[in-house]
Amino acid sequence: MPKIQNRIRRLRFDRNEMTQQELAEKAGCTRQTIIAVEQGKYVPSLELSFKIARAFAVPLEEVFQYE
Amino acid sequence: MAPLQKRSLFALLLETLWALAIILVFISQGGAAKWDTDADFRLIMDGMWVGGLILYWWLFSSLDHRPDQFDERDKTIIDRASKVQWWAVIMSLVAWVIGLSEHYHAQGQIPVILLSLIFFSTLIASTLAQSVGILFGYWRMNRNA
Repeated sequence: MPKIQNRIRRLRFDRNEMTQQELAEKAGCTRQTIIAVEQGKYVPSLELSFKIARAFAVPLEEVFQYE
Repeated sequence: MAPLQKRSLFALLLETLWALAIILVFISQGGAAKWDTDADFRLIMDGMWVGGLILYWWLFSSLDHRPDQFDERDKTIIDRASKVQWWAVIMSLVAWVIGLSEHYHAQGQIPVILLSLIFFSTLIASTLAQSVGILFGYWRMNRNA
């Protein structure tokens, strides 16, 4: 079954271990939502996906992949 | 634990206490027999459910809607919880309709007090179901990996 994967953990690591709280503040959501997205338990809306990608300054497809 | 999740847990506790208090006061003060004759008793009961309703409204309306406290995921869970709430109301009414129809079928009418009891119980079921639905929503989302 196709699933939306994400590289948030890796991208946070690459950015000097950006915390989930910092990412949540940049993306405009709660830390709990970042945790849920990172663990693949919640698929964010398109708007939040773009905000997360923007927080990392990368294109959307570098954060999320449909496999 | 998300702020909405904490609030729902707290609300569930308060709503349960509220429901138990209403039932206890109703039974200890004389129940259905006193309802018909004692206006003060009716006033106390009305005060209790209106007070509980205001508390319930305050609990959820006072939730901070800043992005770091409440976001799209919380909104999705609240929206899903309304389905649980809807089912609780329907099931409560179904139970009342079947129970009353069978019990009072021969008389052809039901006592007036039951209208208030139907309302109280449906209101309690609805408020409890919303908190349960929200908590269930978080549990289910955390479970789905």
